[in-house]
Amino acid sequence: MNQIAQLPARVRLAGISKSFASGKQAATPVLSDISLELEQGELVCLLGPSGCGKSTILNLIAGFEQTDSGAILLDGSPVNKPGPERGVVFQQPTLFPWLSVLDNVTFGPRMAGVKKSVYLPEAERYLRLVGLQDFHHHMPWQLSGGMRQRVALARAWLPNPEILLMDEPFGALDAQTRLMMQELLTSVWQKTGTTILFITHDVDEALFLADRVLVMSARPGRICAEFKIPFPRPRDIEVLVADVGYGTLKQKILHIVREEARKSMAGTAP
Amino acid sequence: MSNSVNTRSQPGLSTTQRVAVSTGAVALVLGVWQLSGTLKWIDPLLLPPPTEIFQTTVDILADGYRQVSLWQHIWVSVLRATVAFAAAIATGIPLGLAMGLSQPVSAVLEPFVQFLRPLPKIALIPLTVVWFGIDEGSKFFLIYISCFLSVVVSAAAAAVGVSKNRIRAAQTLGANRYQVFTRVVLPNALPEIFTGVRLSIGIGWTSLIAAEMVAANSGLGWMVINAGTYLRTDVVMLGILLLGGIGYLFDLALVLLQRTFVPWAGRDA
Repeated sequence: MNQIAQLPARVRLAGISKSFASGKQAATPVLSDISLELEQGELVCLLGPSGCGKSTILNLIAGFEQTDSGAILLDGSPVNKPGPERGVVFQQPTLFPWLSVLDNVTFGPRMAGVKKSVYLPEAERYLRLVGLQDFHHHMPWQLSGGMRQRVALARAWLPNPEILLMDEPFGALDAQTRLMMQELLTSVWQKTGTTILFITHDVDEALFLADRVLVMSARPGRICAEFKIPFPRPRDIEVLVADVGYGTLKQKILHIVREEARKSMAGTAP
Repeated sequence: MSNSVNTRSQPGLSTTQRVAVSTGAVALVLGVWQLSGTLKWIDPLLLPPPTEIFQTTVDILADGYRQVSLWQHIWVSVLRATVAFAAAIATGIPLGLAMGLSQPVSAVLEPFVQFLRPLPKIALIPLTVVWFGIDEGSKFFLIYISCFLSVVVSAAAAAVGVSKNRIRAAQTLGANRYQVFTRVVLPNALPEIFTGVRLSIGIGWTSLIAAEMVAANSGLGWMVINAGTYLRTDVVMLGILLLGGIGYLFDLALVLLQRTFVPWAGRDA
């Protein structure tokens, strides 16, 4: 992805902070002074212990929540509400159970009033990309968890968003399915070149997927480390784990993540 | 919804076995009931045996009860109930949805709904007679009001029950407020609304007896009350069986409608 690294940032978070009020207690700061940039076509993983506020960052970029201070810019214009140029894949598939697979996938263009002749070939393309070309008329509940999440992927991708935001989308899947989904994601991403922000707490997942890994601190969340992931693509998990550099990098990142997790445990202890 | 799924997936009994066991249980009760009459365990005046009720049914089918044919009694009751149900559903669902979606609407209506809903509707009979007279109006109102309040409450709960992420998913796909309502909130609420309507119709059917206590001269509820005053327990039992059976058929019809129109009820996605 080196040839496009010189392009201007698509998404810029400039010094954002966020705190949540809980009951009568003083507001707890969740994020403090986060700044980050995503470049065109980059796949960035945001890695951190649970409760560090990584999902909050995603919610802010998606426009579900508002920052207390700082700015979120998409191609230079501020973000303040959800929109189809920022696709989201949630931890749960969050499909619409009353719609077939095809109707779920085409929900976006149908809401926008796009002609069927325009969106149908695109929908077919994405369903093929996620391996569900034979499941157009199935209902969500007839699919396995992994298949549902592939539908969700195709649904978020079809409107051709500027950026895809993924909130631990494979966290609820079993290990084998998760690995297949990671391979599927990178293969579709290499074909489409969409900018992706991927949230995870799994170091292996981050190393397999990312161009760049941002590690977050315990609450209040800051970005405390950044790693470029040098492995060539397409990546093969079996080749990666045999690579000495993979082990070293994993050890380094794991060390920071564990430190932060320990801090956050200490912070929440009574 | 999830309840019935659980029952089906319980280990031990297949659907056929369940039906067989249920049929057996009913047959056993009917048998013991019949024996209680034949062997004179219980005075038939207190508990007329099934054969006597059957004989009564044949007689009433031929001659009617109090100059009105049995079909007429059934028809009158079903018509009263159906008209009131339809009106309650048609008005209750929109109002309930409005309460579920709008805090101000809910704040205004909530106290009235919550006061009236648990109120025993029989207590309203004197007022309804004064307000609507002793004709169909008061009977309609009594069935309507009990069914309506229950529909409102369940529709309001159904509208609130949509998951935050489902709405967010629609918003990130570009749905506007109106589309979020029609394409997500509404279909999402439908299974629960159906369940609410089922319960409400049960409640409405229950209040049929109360409604037909108001100076009627036909209808199943009236038939039961009238037969009771003449100690015609056989007719009372027949009326009870018909009221129960028809109530069951109403529910069955709604279950079928629910399966047809909201097959996603209780399903995960």
